Amino acid sequence: MTPVHATFGEVAAERRIASVPLSHVSVELGHLYMEDYEAGPDRLREQFRRVAPWLATVRSLWQERVPGGRARVSTCFLVDDYFSRFSTPAELVPMVLEAAAEHDLSIDYLARESACAQFEDAQSGGVELARLVEDRLVDDPPPETDGSRPPVKETGWLCNGSRSPRTAPMQAMGKTRPWEPPAQNAKRGHSIFVDVELWDEKGPRRTWSCPFLAAVWQLLRLGLLRSDGQVPLPPVALDGGWPRDWDGLPAVVRLNPQAAPFSAYTTLSVLSPRFLPVELAVRTILSQVAVDDEVLRQVATRSESEGVRLEEELVDRISYVFV
Amino acid sequence: MLVMGEVHTGLLQNSGEISESTCRQVLGLMAGETVRVSRRPIVHALSPERLTGVDCALPTASRSRVRGVGTVVSRCAVTGGRVAQGSSYVRVVRSDADRRLPWSHYLARPGVVEVLGKAKAADLAEGFTGDSAPGRPDGACLDLGAVSGRFLDLVQQSTLLDRRAPFKIPRTSLRWVAETGEPSIRFTLHAEQERTLRLTHPGPFTTAVVDLCEDLATHDWLLTSLLVIVERARIGGTPGAQAVARLAPAIDHLMHLWMPAARVEEWLTPFWESLERRPGFTRQWRSLVDRVRDQVAMNTLALLNATADAGRR
Repeated sequence: MTPVHATFGEVAAERRIASVPLSHVSVELGHLYMEDYEAGPDRLREQFRRVAPWLATVRSLWQERVPGGRARVSTCFLVDDYFSRFSTPAELVPMVLEAAAEHDLSIDYLARESACAQFEDAQSGGVELARLVEDRLVDDPPPETDGSRPPVKETGWLCNGSRSPRTAPMQAMGKTRPWEPPAQNAKRGHSIFVDVELWDEKGPRRTWSCPFLAAVWQLLRLGLLRSDGQVPLPPVALDGGWPRDWDGLPAVVRLNPQAAPFSAYTTLSVLSPRFLPVELAVRTILSQVAVDDEVLRQVATRSESEGVRLEEELVDRISYVFV
Repeated sequence: MLVMGEVHTGLLQNSGEISESTCRQVLGLMAGETVRVSRRPIVHALSPERLTGVDCALPTASRSRVRGVGTVVSRCAVTGGRVAQGSSYVRVVRSDADRRLPWSHYLARPGVVEVLGKAKAADLAEGFTGDSAPGRPDGACLDLGAVSGRFLDLVQQSTLLDRRAPFKIPRTSLRWVAETGEPSIRFTLHAEQERTLRLTHPGPFTTAVVDLCEDLATHDWLLTSLLVIVERARIGGTPGAQAVARLAPAIDHLMHLWMPAARVEEWLTPFWESLERRPGFTRQWRSLVDRVRDQVAMNTLALLNATADAGRR
């Protein structure tokens, strides 16, 4: 009898990672905070007026880059319902869409900022994206970090180097330790030291910082997050009208049925320069997020198969226009 | 260039074996990531992998200074609800740059440590698995043992465990180096609880090699522990009933766990088989198990005889 080759498999022993449809670029047309809302619809119109030429530019750049000119570009808009709750979807969303339409902009997807912290509904159950990303942080090690000790952490903070040693006077010795500078790990000559607050806690309630949620938002748009192997918060089309309560709104709403996929190989955000410090913080966080190996491979394989060479480091897949 | 790793193995700090669902909770080290569990031929649960950043000297036999920057991959495992492991490894490759790059560069290559400047694979391999423990008197040197130790602690300190282990047995550590080349394997017992493994395998490195090293570490720990228990029983030097009582933990907690190469991919099983020929792990295990069973049988016979004698009187 010839030897029989047996194969045995166990589902629970395997890792299955779902894949996500991807556009070439996801363009964020705006990010609405309460202060913008309070400033009235003119502030919004002004934002869209500034954004419109950049969207056209990025579209034509990708059309040149992609064989056959079939660039997949999707647009999105983020509403802050985390740090402050204002207005209602029923009142706000039509106003936003109208202001965009005045500049020939179509918003494909609308997302809620609070969903980047956590989201729960009957369909997808609960998912805490912020916790998920926090567990994926791998601290940038200062030189001489050999693994013998756990990484030095200031709870709730993340930096890009070594902090200044404490300079409290040592009373017993009667001497004051002179100030020593912090140092950036990957400095070029001189340091640009960044220390970012990720969250704070008042009692049992944790409030995630704006840069941390923005980092989660970028990862979601890059299609690099998975929860138990599944793609979290897939866009949902809205049946019926806009709800009167933000909690009645899906995390990501698909507004345009013909839209290219929500997630993309790269992202572009068109922002006011006042967001520059926030985005520096976002990049500090993102350069310390370890995305799942398998997910990285999936995206790389897909982009190569359609002749698009992606930047290896995920912070290089994110670009901005500050206007 | 090469892959180096270290596995720490110990008895789970719990009075009995833990269930599959407890395993899942104990090993759930990361939100949104599942614990992988296989049930045949023995329950084996594996945590999601986590990374630790390092930037330090690598161990070298020549004591030359070699700087490595990158991430260590670590994971924990529980076998048979009874044996816990913390395991870490790095793939060492030459860097294209001669300086440290932004951290995002290293996170795009999880589990890789890039060597800045010149280094020879043989020097690193010898430095890591050589007789003197890795470490340099003149500064910090990559300490995979500390990382693995911390991951094992993470399991052992779980609040789901009752911390009442049925017997005390030391942890063992297995430091391993894997390279591509003509197949060969060298397993060395060092002082106390330290072991090293040098492995040369055909084809490129895959995580199946890590599975093999962890499987060998599990079985080496089982064998070491059974030897310790048999030694502590002082068979022949103590009354039979006392010796058997001291052997009981082995029967209750260890003897059913021997499943060599159960989780090893087929292309790597010849490595296990060659270790089975020399030194013959399973041979020694069987002989110890037979010895334990013989003691129990003898003691049972003695008890039966004593009862029969008492009945006759």
